[in-house]
Amino acid sequence: MPVSRRGFLSLVGSGASRSEVGALLAARGHEAYQAAAQQGQQAGQGQGGRAGGGGRAARPPLPEGVEEIKISSNENPLGPGKTVLDAIIGQFDEAGRYPFNSNPGEGKLVETIAALHKAKPENVVLGAGSQEILKTAIRGFTTPFRPLVTGAPTFENCTGLARRMGHPVFEVKVDSQFKINLEDMLAVVRGAGLVFLNNPNNPTATVHGLKTVTDFVERVRRISPDTVILIDEAYHEYVTDPDYATAMPLALSTPNVFVARTFSKAYGMAGMRIGYAVGQVDTVKPLARLRMPYGISVLGVAAGIAALNDPKHIEAERARNTEVRKFTVKALEDLGCKPTVSNGNFLFVDIGRPARVMRDACAKSYVQIGRDFPPFEGSHARISLGTMAEMQKAVAVFRDVLRPVMPAGGGR
Amino acid sequence: MLTRRKFVQAAGVAGAAWIGARGRENAVWNLLEPGLEAQAAAPAGPIIPLSSNENPLGPPKAVIDAIQKAFGPAGAAPGRYSGGAGPLIEALAKQHGVQPANIVLGCGSTQILRSATHLFTARTKAMVGTIPTYEECAGYADMMGNPVRAIPLDSEFNVDLDRMADAARGSGLVFFCNPNNPVATYVGASATRDFLARVNRISPETTILVDEAYFDYVTNPDHATHIPAAVEDPRILVARTFSKAYGMAGLRMGYAVGHVDTIKKMADFDGGSGTSSLNVLAMAGGLAAVQMDGSFVKGERDRNTAARDFTMKWFADRGMKPTASQANFMFINIGRPAKEFREACLAKGVRVARDFPPFEKTHCRISIGTMDEMQKATKVFGEVLGKASATHAA
Repeated sequence: MPVSRRGFLSLVGSGASRSEVGALLAARGHEAYQAAAQQGQQAGQGQGGRAGGGGRAARPPLPEGVEEIKISSNENPLGPGKTVLDAIIGQFDEAGRYPFNSNPGEGKLVETIAALHKAKPENVVLGAGSQEILKTAIRGFTTPFRPLVTGAPTFENCTGLARRMGHPVFEVKVDSQFKINLEDMLAVVRGAGLVFLNNPNNPTATVHGLKTVTDFVERVRRISPDTVILIDEAYHEYVTDPDYATAMPLALSTPNVFVARTFSKAYGMAGMRIGYAVGQVDTVKPLARLRMPYGISVLGVAAGIAALNDPKHIEAERARNTEVRKFTVKALEDLGCKPTVSNGNFLFVDIGRPARVMRDACAKSYVQIGRDFPPFEGSHARISLGTMAEMQKAVAVFRDVLRPVMPAGGGR
Repeated sequence: MLTRRKFVQAAGVAGAAWIGARGRENAVWNLLEPGLEAQAAAPAGPIIPLSSNENPLGPPKAVIDAIQKAFGPAGAAPGRYSGGAGPLIEALAKQHGVQPANIVLGCGSTQILRSATHLFTARTKAMVGTIPTYEECAGYADMMGNPVRAIPLDSEFNVDLDRMADAARGSGLVFFCNPNNPVATYVGASATRDFLARVNRISPETTILVDEAYFDYVTNPDHATHIPAAVEDPRILVARTFSKAYGMAGLRMGYAVGHVDTIKKMADFDGGSGTSSLNVLAMAGGLAAVQMDGSFVKGERDRNTAARDFTMKWFADRGMKPTASQANFMFINIGRPAKEFREACLAKGVRVARDFPPFEKTHCRISIGTMDEMQKATKVFGEVLGKASATHAA
């Protein structure tokens, strides 16, 4: 297979990469499991913690009066809020009904999402978390002959599944600002089955503006009209960059482009497993065909509808996160660390030492930060943003952990 | 000796029948599949839902309490990703006397059926099932372009075990739904054991998926789970769900029990953590359900049996013969198209099930509600069936 031979491109899916596949198998679960796996726990069946416990139950029990600070999985520390919890409670009477029979039913959630994005219900496909959307996209759009083009580092669900299926993967290293390197993606996009564009990008927290994304889409379509572009806007609600806007209208007006969204981040429902895709009917049809039927619980359906009908709650959540983000960025900069320009509910920080060193040290003080993100595991850590109170405590821990070796004013 | 050619349909033909039968009761799907029947308009006011084989009473209080408790301090817990399925899997393992490594959870048994179909069928490895049966496996195999062999039932609507075994030869997956949805009939434990052994013998590479979704509603004394066989043999897999007797259809939780190697394949297919599609509230509810003593399920079975006996007798008294139901639904020869009956019932506030080809011209599936609901529903059935429609009678 012809590959541009520059060092930052890697073509995976050949026999040479089998050991990496094994590593990915261990790492491929969702965020909490990836964290758990890295801590030497088995990420397999039956090894997890309490339902809703965040994947840390296999760790030693917390001393009395100590609360763990979980800033490892880019979750909303406050959960979904009272309006949504009330909607869930209000739906208990429907728990025995399938989501296509319940009131409100799954179709009402689809209609609510469609109305929000000025789309038709047939433009919307639900998923059990946006992870199902991403996995379905790999199954639907890549083949052994039609590669995945994705970032490095980026959210790995697509990468992991494509590799397991033996479909080739082009991993394109982020640019010097830790943004998804769109120019380098264009160099390998011809003939690709799917481009995965995580915007903002997890774990690097950077974002591209709408004009840049629109230009990129146009160029991909010129070079490789049959390539499908998946724009994952999981962290959309947290973006403050004025150049950014959603690609929803772009997806609805352009063939082979669709946007993925999730209720797992700002909406505070990671445990509820609700995500969706929006695009032109012909584009999202393969997702609809491959999706698991009625995979969202009736409680999730009611929760999703209630959440979308409460936009003020999301505005407040964005403001809260922005304030915490400013505080944490400044605190880390004061310690000589260099965070990227974050538009998410997490930071990607040059800590001048391996992530594992900081992670292990923080864990001793019951602060759980993100796992390794190759190729930057030797220098960068991903730190999710908790509540202000949590981050004040966490920063005190960071100070202890980072001060001994961090030279003042320089993290590189 | 029956020939295969007579009873095993080629992929294309069977595929078309399955597509017609699939009707996956899914709004999004219907929107994208305009060929499917549009939902008839329902009247304002309460509807008695007898269309989806749900427990009309919903989950026990212990399940609801556990879900609310799972909100956690300050209601923040649903904001966290699941930490894993450990406690629920361990509780299920204890309940069934197996190891945790023998169990994989699914987003309803739907996910179990899909994963099994994905793993065990191929272009050259057909999926085998009765026609009609629960369509998830056949529909998904067909969607993937893998062949489907649809095996007719016998005259009493029982699984024709000889035909099934014969058709299983060289196939990838045999889907054995027992009791069988939508026809409600049941193959006894000893006959099923013989069938499993026979398929293993004549087609050693074939996986058999025994779907025990309606297990808890069986009253036939020759009744046992096939989990013990599944745990011993990598070619046998048992699917279970919380959607039926436990009344948790809306929560989406099911599981498979089998040999560790088969379970590992299933878990790997959708992600090693096995929890990416599972919501934390359903896991908490499922755990509470498993931890209850057996009296809840027995009470639900007894309730269903009484309502089933009442409704079966009502139809039998009017010369309409239901099949020998061992589930929370019935399959009845109403002597006219199901669609006509369904639409007339819906107009009077009772929703019965969709079409099930090849019997859509004569038979209807009716789920069992509460006794009160069935008393009301049979009044409606009497009004609808009493009307002259002999022109449609079979």
